[in-house]
Amino acid sequence: MKLLTDALEGLGSTLLLLARALSYTRTLPRQFGRFIEQCYLIGYTTLPIVAILSFFIGSVLALQSGFAGKDFGAKQFIGLLVGVSMSRELAPVMAAILLAGRVGSAIAAELASMKVYQEIDALVTMNIPPARILVLPRLAAVAVMMPVLTIVADLVGWFGGAIISKYTHFIAIEPESYFATMRQYMHFDSVLNGLIKAEIFGFVVVLVCCNVGLNTRGGPREIGAAVTRAVVVSLILILVLDFFVTRVLA
Amino acid sequence: MPASVSSTRNPFSDAATPAVGVTIDDLCKSFGTFEVLKHVSFHVPPGEIFVLMGPSGSGKSVLLKHIVGLELPTSGKVTVDGLDAADETTREKVRMALVFQAGALFNSLSVYDNLALYPREHQLADEAGIREKVMRALQILSLENAANKFPSELSGGMKKRVAIARALVMEPQLMLYDEPTSELDPVMSATIAEIIATLKEQYHVTSIVVSHDRDLALGIADRVGILMGGQLRFLGKPAELRTPQDSRVADFLNPQIDLQNPRFKQLETQA
Amino acid sequence: MNNSQQTARVGLFFLLGVALIWVTFETLSGGKVFKDKGYELIAGFESLQSLKEGDEIRMAGVRIGEVKGTRLAPSGRRAEAILRIDTGVKIRADATATIVMSGLIGTNFISVDLGTATAGELRPGAEIRTKATPDLGAVMEKLSSLGTKLEDALGSLSGALSGDANNPGLIKKVDTLVTENREKIGATMTNLQQVTDRINKGEGTLGRLVNDPKLHDELLASVDQIKAAAGDAKNFVANAQTIIDQVKSGKGPLGTLVFDEKVSADLRATTQNLRALSDKIARGEGAIGKLLTDDSLVKDAKAVLKKADRALDGFDDAGPITAVGVVARGLF
Repeated sequence: MKLLTDALEGLGSTLLLLARALSYTRTLPRQFGRFIEQCYLIGYTTLPIVAILSFFIGSVLALQSGFAGKDFGAKQFIGLLVGVSMSRELAPVMAAILLAGRVGSAIAAELASMKVYQEIDALVTMNIPPARILVLPRLAAVAVMMPVLTIVADLVGWFGGAIISKYTHFIAIEPESYFATMRQYMHFDSVLNGLIKAEIFGFVVVLVCCNVGLNTRGGPREIGAAVTRAVVVSLILILVLDFFVTRVLA
Repeated sequence: MPASVSSTRNPFSDAATPAVGVTIDDLCKSFGTFEVLKHVSFHVPPGEIFVLMGPSGSGKSVLLKHIVGLELPTSGKVTVDGLDAADETTREKVRMALVFQAGALFNSLSVYDNLALYPREHQLADEAGIREKVMRALQILSLENAANKFPSELSGGMKKRVAIARALVMEPQLMLYDEPTSELDPVMSATIAEIIATLKEQYHVTSIVVSHDRDLALGIADRVGILMGGQLRFLGKPAELRTPQDSRVADFLNPQIDLQNPRFKQLETQA
Repeated sequence: MNNSQQTARVGLFFLLGVALIWVTFETLSGGKVFKDKGYELIAGFESLQSLKEGDEIRMAGVRIGEVKGTRLAPSGRRAEAILRIDTGVKIRADATATIVMSGLIGTNFISVDLGTATAGELRPGAEIRTKATPDLGAVMEKLSSLGTKLEDALGSLSGALSGDANNPGLIKKVDTLVTENREKIGATMTNLQQVTDRINKGEGTLGRLVNDPKLHDELLASVDQIKAAAGDAKNFVANAQTIIDQVKSGKGPLGTLVFDEKVSADLRATTQNLRALSDKIARGEGAIGKLLTDDSLVKDAKAVLKKADRALDGFDDAGPITAVGVVARGLF
């Protein structure tokens, strides 16, 4: 019962925070500096880990599908399989999970510590809404950076799969034919689908982590708890949303 | 930005600041089952310096937070300039500054940026004007050398001074201080007391000061309130404090150090 | 790092992302990134089958362009594919375009042959000669009729061997022969068995000779007689053996040996029929004969097998190596 009320309270406060942040949208041009700073943190510094992870995800995907398909001649379609799986599912989900782990936790920690050390209260008394200067730039930044992270994840994953397909003895598919099947049967729809998904996930992750951080109560001990909660809630939401967004987009 | 705030009322200029009054009406606040404030009522007229005293944990800070709307009353009402403090728009209409006990400085910003944040966010002046205001406030509190330091590099006392400077830059109509002189040396305490008094005399700023500092209370207060166990035990002129009626108030103001019969032992025998 | 540097990095980063998305979009929407390069040719076909925009055009296996679009000709009597050929690729006027299917699920490309070196070049916008290729359905149909013919051929061969109710076939006749004479052969064997048994038990003259000591002298005296008797017995056994062998191997005019003149005649006739059949096959008459002797058919079959073989070896291109895949790959 408490879990349910907590969940509803979380949902309500998150939506309220979203509404507040969006109501300050017109102040965004003035906050360009903060926006760029957040873009840098969310996009630029997250790119290497996203690239590394996607590379191996793509490789493993190629390896596993090659292993499964080698007995009945399906290995020619590894390119298509890796391409579609990466772009529709794994790139957006992995990018969002990394975002939750790397950026979401940092956001939650920063805002929770600001809350615990009364910086948020100070902002409120100064009539500077936290939703405006802390949440809005982050939401704007993630909205702009998420597609970039995802497309990089897509491409790196595809190339990872291509390299593995060429050099694994039981697959041995040349990159040309790997990419040929991808180009033949895959449409930009798949990539677009993934980009939309990633956008939704990224937005939700940042929003949830901001909300959890801002709603921290108590002493410094609560900062750690807030980070854990923010990441766990983000991960759950990513996977639950993944299902529904996929249903809607399919 | 509401027009009332963006109009030029500069405490560093000679223009008079329209001070605001604060009314606490039958305020009760509970956290869970724990009652922090029990039916507190008083009025602070515009331009007064009101010092709120009381032992630790008596609810002084919680009362201050109600005035700025950071806490919402369980029952009762707090009005600032006739506006409900619980209403978010009150903060837009009345400029209030709260000096937090621990400073509550923005740790990610330098001292200068801490002070400049308010005028920047509310677009009160161009960058040169902001600089002038900030440096003036820093000067008043002898902080010129700390302008480019970060809060983590400052001592507790310096943090407090930066917090006061930050409040000054806001050019408030109502100043709230939470323990402004704790952790400060006697000279700096005196400086703070002078600043509070000057703001009142020159700019007619209403000040509510939460403090344990008897000297501060007796030196600058127009009126003093003593909060004990969530209830207002005393409300009157500082002079009246010299002859308190309530024995607990008297004990609070002039505690006798009794080594023969220490208080913690009295508590033990009571229990 | 100062602010402008950060801004520049973020800006660059964002542009990189936009560029990557754009490239992906262009690539997956039919590789139109370089769409304006090269020149166009028109190729008319009776049916484009499953040829679609973006499919490759290959000359001697090398990619030289792509299908820019497909449409029905203004006359409405044929389909046209607009081919975009890379700049610098010269196509001879007598070159022929064919639609080639490289996989079962619609990986098509247009194959253009080299033409003759002396022929002129096709100018942009010109029409290229085409050759119709059967689509998969038609090929399957042909394959099916080939199968029917094969079945027929095998059926008549089988009929010759097994015959029908009125005209018993070769195998049946041999079978009848053996079945009908089984008793006689059996009796002969039984008699032989009895003779040896009786000798063994000391019955009869020979038996007594062996078993009675009093007659020892007579025995010695009669050795010659015994020898002669043994010789007779041996001859008899040898004869019986020959009969059995010949019946077993079905060799020779068995009927004559085993008294039945009619069966012998039948057998002879059957043998003649069989010979006539194989003669016919050898001359290339009839279904099987054609199958075996028609040179072109053999060549075709050989090609099919060769292609199938290559397909089985994995080859290089897309296309599933399944049973159906092998068939389809073999056919193209």
